[in-house]
Amino acid sequence: MRSSRNSVRGTDGNTSSVMRRHHPDYQIVLYMGLLMLLGLIIMYAIGPQRANVLNNAYGTDYYTSTYFFVKQSASLLLALVTFIAIAFTPYTFFKKHAGKIVVIALIACLLLFITGDLLHSGVAQCSLGACRWFNMGPLGSVQPAELLKFGLLLFCAGFLGIRVKQGLVNDLHRTLIPLGVLMLVASFFVIGLQKDMGTGIAMIAIVACMMVVSGVDKRIGVVLLGTSLVVGVVFIIVAPHRVQRVLTFLQGDNTSQSSSVDDSYQITHAKIAIGSGGFAGVGIGNSVEATGYLPEAINDSVFAIMGETFGFVGLTVILGMFSALLYRLLKVADNLTDIWMKLAVIGVFGWLMSHVILNVAAMIGVFPLTGITLPLLSFGGTSMIFIAGALGLAFQLSHYTVHGSLSKENEYEGISSRRGIGGSRHSGRRSSSRA
Amino acid sequence: MQLDLKRGSRIRILAIITFVIIAIFIVRLFYLQVIRHDYYVGLAHAEQFKQLDIPAKRGEIYAMDGTTPVPIVLNQAVYTVFADPKVIHNDKAVIDMVNQYAAGNAQPDLAGLLSQKESRYQVLATKVSPQQAEQMKNQNLLGVGFTQENQRVYPEGQLAAQTLGFVNGAGQGQYGIEQALNTQLTGVDGLLQSVTDVSDVPLTIGNDNINTPAKNGENVVLTLDRNIQAYAEKALATGVKNSKATNGSVMVMDPQSGKILAMANLPTFDPSNYGTVRDASAFDNATVSAPYEPGSDVKTLTMAVGVDKGVVSPDATYNNTDYIKVEDRTITNATKGQTGNITFQHAMNYSLNTGFVTVAERLGDGSNITLDARNTMYDYFHNKLHLGELTGIELAGEAQGIVVPPSNPDGGAVRYSNMAFGQGLDVTMLQACAAFSTVINGGTYYTPSIIAGSMSDDGSTFTASQAKPSQYNVIKKSTSDTIRKMVHDARDAFYSGKDTKGYYIGGKTGTSQTIENGQYVDNQTVGTYLGFGGNSPDAPSYVIMVQVSGKGMNLAGNTDALPIFTDISNWMLNYLKLQPKE
Repeated sequence: MRSSRNSVRGTDGNTSSVMRRHHPDYQIVLYMGLLMLLGLIIMYAIGPQRANVLNNAYGTDYYTSTYFFVKQSASLLLALVTFIAIAFTPYTFFKKHAGKIVVIALIACLLLFITGDLLHSGVAQCSLGACRWFNMGPLGSVQPAELLKFGLLLFCAGFLGIRVKQGLVNDLHRTLIPLGVLMLVASFFVIGLQKDMGTGIAMIAIVACMMVVSGVDKRIGVVLLGTSLVVGVVFIIVAPHRVQRVLTFLQGDNTSQSSSVDDSYQITHAKIAIGSGGFAGVGIGNSVEATGYLPEAINDSVFAIMGETFGFVGLTVILGMFSALLYRLLKVADNLTDIWMKLAVIGVFGWLMSHVILNVAAMIGVFPLTGITLPLLSFGGTSMIFIAGALGLAFQLSHYTVHGSLSKENEYEGISSRRGIGGSRHSGRRSSSRA
Repeated sequence: MQLDLKRGSRIRILAIITFVIIAIFIVRLFYLQVIRHDYYVGLAHAEQFKQLDIPAKRGEIYAMDGTTPVPIVLNQAVYTVFADPKVIHNDKAVIDMVNQYAAGNAQPDLAGLLSQKESRYQVLATKVSPQQAEQMKNQNLLGVGFTQENQRVYPEGQLAAQTLGFVNGAGQGQYGIEQALNTQLTGVDGLLQSVTDVSDVPLTIGNDNINTPAKNGENVVLTLDRNIQAYAEKALATGVKNSKATNGSVMVMDPQSGKILAMANLPTFDPSNYGTVRDASAFDNATVSAPYEPGSDVKTLTMAVGVDKGVVSPDATYNNTDYIKVEDRTITNATKGQTGNITFQHAMNYSLNTGFVTVAERLGDGSNITLDARNTMYDYFHNKLHLGELTGIELAGEAQGIVVPPSNPDGGAVRYSNMAFGQGLDVTMLQACAAFSTVINGGTYYTPSIIAGSMSDDGSTFTASQAKPSQYNVIKKSTSDTIRKMVHDARDAFYSGKDTKGYYIGGKTGTSQTIENGQYVDNQTVGTYLGFGGNSPDAPSYVIMVQVSGKGMNLAGNTDALPIFTDISNWMLNYLKLQPKE
């Protein structure tokens, strides 16, 4: 079975010198663009209602009916600029400066803690005792945790890549402990200080995906999974609002007696919005839950509003588009031979996947609320820009995939094979993949 | 889906986990959106679909100013100013604003109210005028809101308070016109069934929305003349004060139509502050709701029956001995000494009870008040002049009064002998005025009315209501002419000097005893006066009735009620611009 593949590898050699820039994977742009457009349509449809609700709540007429559409358009524009900038900045730049980005992001988190939690300065933007954003005045606000996510993605790709090449990916002292310390520090800031479980989980998911692909031993994986579950439970128990969220979730529909009125209210109304949308939805502009019933209608709950508007058909299409985008990322990663590139794209995949799954799971009532945005669709600049940036990186790296007969087995795979992991990975490659 | 990924690779594992989760999501979505769709539509509907009443504007009330209707009860929008302390950062700015524009309406301790930062609703000021509210709205302060409500305003103050009644906090008319015509004044609220946003603002979303516009209440025009009403109230207040009485009522009626021109009562109240009234009897319109023994006023009616039946005339005589026996009772005169053969006019002038018992006897066999006589009196009093019968006046709380029919075991000769001079029957001032008008206007019974018509929504077009049914020739015109002259002569005999010269005024005093617990009490009499006036001996322009009373007070028609009649009567002649004729 391996004969043909081996012969290809044998004849063409296995160095990275065969990697040549070619056409990138335009499908990434296609699905990203479609999702962004859909987000814009929803902002156009429910923006007036949202503005009305806010104006009523604050007794002003500050928000015009196109406020959210215009702001989302601006965010999209900025996101596209970021996408292009990162797509055309040589990836080596990010590879080189990954460590610095992590340090900057951690310093930013520390500054946020100092200015917000300690000094109560206006520079930090806090709500409900959690300081997560820097106030940038007219430019809006910036969330350092997003930068940290991006930095960790780049840094871990490099770190794990080196360890893979060294064959030390399962080494406790050289790999797992340093990585664990880094993740603990990052989690301390994001989950501990900023009380942002959602972003924390996303961050861990990014690194976890990269670890999986880098070939960390299954047994180590199980241990790590168990450890993170325990740590997760501890984090939940120490924060009352998370306990409430979990209780809310466990009580399911029967939440009228719940002490966490806000969460159960949001989940109940998310389900009402989704359920009342039915098979085909109520149509654009006819969402009633967006008129103030469903909290966070344009941000974290936008999936529910889309469910009301576009129905089962629409949500299936949206999940289909996310799946297609995720699949393209996996496909690109699969066809990349350079281990740094492969892990970086997997990081981007982990980022997008964790956001989509955590957000949708909460909306449909199968996982507690974590307060995380739905990538490319939710209203809000920081999340949109960073996701676009991450996709820009993946898009750039898709230049370097090796398809079909050109596909190479790299040195690290040999190492993995020797360790008995994924030993049969070459056998399943079908001829269709080379088309 | 075929995964085009290296089989068995870690990437493939990630893909499978991801897509399995997403597939579970889609199954879950199918469950929520297709299988449980109706359930969630029900939840959504229960929360989003609301019925909102579109309040109908309550009809306004007009009175006549001569021949022009003018509003005496209006609606005014007033505002409640509230705050959401949680979103207010600058408490002082809000407090300063309220104190600057609506200090008089502000709640005490605004700072304390605003310091309750966890509350989302605090009322800062109430009953703020639209102008004040507008000025405050222009300040555009965050977290300050306004709710509008309508309240009744009374440009004439306490004028005709009991006749108007008031509107309670629930929007229901209480007492008077407000209660009697509540349905008409209220109108019909419109109904808006609609999907609403979270603050109950209707949305245009959905197909089940119903919008039935409100039908505003009718603007009612009263027959009351606000000038006559105002003067009647003033004259009543003066008279009651002079008599040191506590209660008094005046009714002014147009005898040629049955229209009520004024009805005044003391004690009274301020309808815009009805909540401060301690004794609810102040709300009662005694002229229609408090039956009393009319006493001597009724003697004119008894005389009318006699004259109409041809058994007596003003010049006919009878032998007055100051007492008269009816069965086992002896009836005496209040005024003694006018004994001998005297005319019935004489009996009228001195209000001699014997004279009127004699009339009743002559309606029978001449010396007994037979069943025939009683039937005749009952026919006139009850069936023709409608004493003891509801008039159907458009006011709340009308009392019926009692006229005992001869068929009743209590309706024997003794009772009817008493009824001949005004005892043993209960009537309202309204009934007395309407009956008296009939015997002096030529014999037509006009059903009393207080509604002149209606006013268009914009207050520009007055539509007169249809005249109520009237009964002509209830008594003969000649009888009426005779009685009018007798009443005139009765007043002329003692009080001619009090009236403006050149006019034709008539009237009859009444001093009736009060019954408490079924027994006549000695120390309390009600003084009344019932008369007419105008410049023509043939067609009086007004009927005025006055009643003055007080707990434990002996008040008399001639000393306590008559001066009030004279005051109003002389003013009326002037107000109606009647030219003197004699």
